[in-house]
Amino acid sequence: MIIVTGASRGIGKSICKRLISQGQKVIGISRDISKLDFESYSCDISSYEEIKLTAQKIRKKGCSITALINAAGIASMNLALLTPKQTTQNLIQTNLIGTIYCCQIFAPLIIQNKSGSIVNFSSIAVPIGLKGESVYVASKSGIEGFSKSFAREMSSFNIRVNCIAPGPIETDLTKGVDKKLINKLISKQIIPIQFETSDISDLVEILLDNKFKSISGQVITPGGI
Amino acid sequence: MNLDDTLNIIKISIKENLEINNISANITDNTSIIGNDSPIDSMGLIQLCLTLEEKAEELNFEFDWTTETAMSKSKSMYRSVKTLSEEFLLQYNQQQ
Repeated sequence: MIIVTGASRGIGKSICKRLISQGQKVIGISRDISKLDFESYSCDISSYEEIKLTAQKIRKKGCSITALINAAGIASMNLALLTPKQTTQNLIQTNLIGTIYCCQIFAPLIIQNKSGSIVNFSSIAVPIGLKGESVYVASKSGIEGFSKSFAREMSSFNIRVNCIAPGPIETDLTKGVDKKLINKLISKQIIPIQFETSDISDLVEILLDNKFKSISGQVITPGGI
Repeated sequence: MNLDDTLNIIKISIKENLEINNISANITDNTSIIGNDSPIDSMGLIQLCLTLEEKAEELNFEFDWTTETAMSKSKSMYRSVKTLSEEFLLQYNQQQ
């Protein structure tokens, strides 16, 4: 079974749909699971206790976990000097610490499976150093650093850890973002087109596929940067 | 359950994990679990913790192996087989 966080919206939702359509068994994790019609758990990934509890429930079911997709995340566009304290805390707590918690708590379930794959999510805003997203970039840079180091720690257990760093994919997260800024971001990609959530699902499929067992510790930006 | 029982659980768990990697070692109460003197590497330590988590589940309690002092040289429960056994027993007793 594959655990997907952020399963109710955007990229996470799209990944769940894709995996399920291919006959994979998916466990969705989200704060709001009311619209999910597959096995799912309500869980706020910024809370260590909630994730731990969710992991216990999954463990008790005796499921074999083969992969973890950490797609949950939040965004907020603010100049660093104008970012409220609470927004700063929320961004770091959910994006960075939440991803770390999920890796710490769910990875042991994958270790028991003897092999697997973990996919974390960064952003194209990291290599660009996007103005107005300093704190968001800090949270996503942290995920990249953590993933590279964690990939080394997990390699002994035959578990690969990679990051996908998408550009502006059309989701709820980018809905309010100025179209000009989106186009500017896209123009920085080597392949300057706006990718869709299905393109991200394609990449996830590759990173989960044991055929690509040589890929670990990588940050992959759709469209290139 | 008493300290002899938990010592036994820890020793068997360590031996099982070492055997997987074809390593044989004499495991005593004073065998270090972390540091240069330990027969277990860092990945072996994680494997040991996972094994102990499973054993704890069989005994109907939850073994928390990520305490704040887990990797502290002076206070760590991983200082030796005995200190880990004591911590395992302590957590067992606290949850009965």
